[in-house]
Amino acid sequence: MTINEPAPRIVTVRQNILKANDHTAAENRRMFEAAGVRAINLASSPGAGKTALLERTLRDLAAAVRMAVAVGDLATDNDAARLRQWGAQAEQIVTGTICHLDASMVQHVLPRFELPDLDVLFLENVGNLVCPSSYDLGEAARAVLISTTEGEDKPLKYPTMFNTADVVVITKMDIAEAVEFDLALCRENIDRARPGVPVIELSSKKGTGLEAWYSFVRGEHP
Amino acid sequence: MHEASIALSLVEVVQDVLRENGGTRVSALTVRLGQWSAVVPEALHAAFPAAAQGTPLQGAHLSIVRVPGVGECSQHGPVTLELTRGLRCPVCGAPTPRLLQGDELELDEVEIVPSILAAELSRTRPAMAEEEP
Ligand SMILES: Nc1nc2c(ncn2[C@@H]2O[C@H](COP(=O)(O)OP(=O)(O)OP(=O)(O)O)[C@@H](O)[C@H]2O)c(=O)[nH]1
Ligand SMILES: [Mg+2]
Ligand SMILES: [Zn+2]
Repeated sequence: MTINEPAPRIVTVRQNILKANDHTAAENRRMFEAAGVRAINLASSPGAGKTALLERTLRDLAAAVRMAVAVGDLATDNDAARLRQWGAQAEQIVTGTICHLDASMVQHVLPRFELPDLDVLFLENVGNLVCPSSYDLGEAARAVLISTTEGEDKPLKYPTMFNTADVVVITKMDIAEAVEFDLALCRENIDRARPGVPVIELSSKKGTGLEAWYSFVRGEHP
Repeated sequence: MHEASIALSLVEVVQDVLRENGGTRVSALTVRLGQWSAVVPEALHAAFPAAAQGTPLQGAHLSIVRVPGVGECSQHGPVTLELTRGLRCPVCGAPTPRLLQGDELELDEVEIVPSILAAELSRTRPAMAEEEP
């Protein structure tokens, strides 16, 4: 008698494909909570001004808030070096060919921080409005940035990213007029992607609109 | 694009299912992708064979079910959303902040080829009685 391969059998699973990431993110979240650190995930398209906003924040809040940054970058150490100038610890997470941070990359870098000595840990994601949206890092809050030099329709083109935002920050307001940025339209599209989400308009360069952002950083708003 | 990462995670999850069910290989699988999942079906299809290479999923047929977004309008109840209009009721335009469905990124079904042992154990009694007269 020959042994034939048994007939296939269908198993119903209904499981999140990223459950391993979610599991690690939950571990990160417990670590942050135990240490009393507010972790903030910053996402945007490349060049929207994440590092510039963090530089400004490190400079302005240094006396009042203990902050550090973990920054994801495909290859370079440039952003971490820019951030260190302001006296804060900034650790580079080299993501190589991967276009987003995931929870295990963050977990890997956490031992380099003295978490109990921090109030806020910023997680600057890789510049990308698609991939980071699927990956929970264990953050307490997610900020999605859009600059005035991008199209006002970005929120509708990247609905998942904006739909996961706890706050949306419109950056580079100092050049809004020069680039004929339509603020009302942008706000309308943000609200379509994430009805009711708080929106902050600011300029890291000119230092306008930062108070609302600083409230968010401290966890007082929204 | 992160579909390569998603495909690798998918292969991991399926291999767990295979182990739990005592299978030797996977012949087919079905994934449910919400329109709001930020994953492009074509890109996942393209990335899957490389991720499955050298695993018990090699050669498995991947089916992707697209799940449309559904929101809840206070006037019109559950409504199917249009991606380009955002979270707005297509009938009255009211905001529908919560997605009832459409953010799925999930493994739905796996067709596994059981190991000989697992197949034997699941065989019915009369069939076994016939073999030992
Ligand atoms: N005019 C103006 N330019 C800004 C502002 N913020 C950032 N920029 C400029 O925008 C460019 C990109 O800023 P970054 O802070 O490096 O942007 P990023 O989002 O960190 O970029 P990646 O990490 O590469 O994705 C730089 O040339 C900044 O000087 C602003 O408020 N106003
Ligand atoms: Mg940067
Ligand atoms: Zn309606």
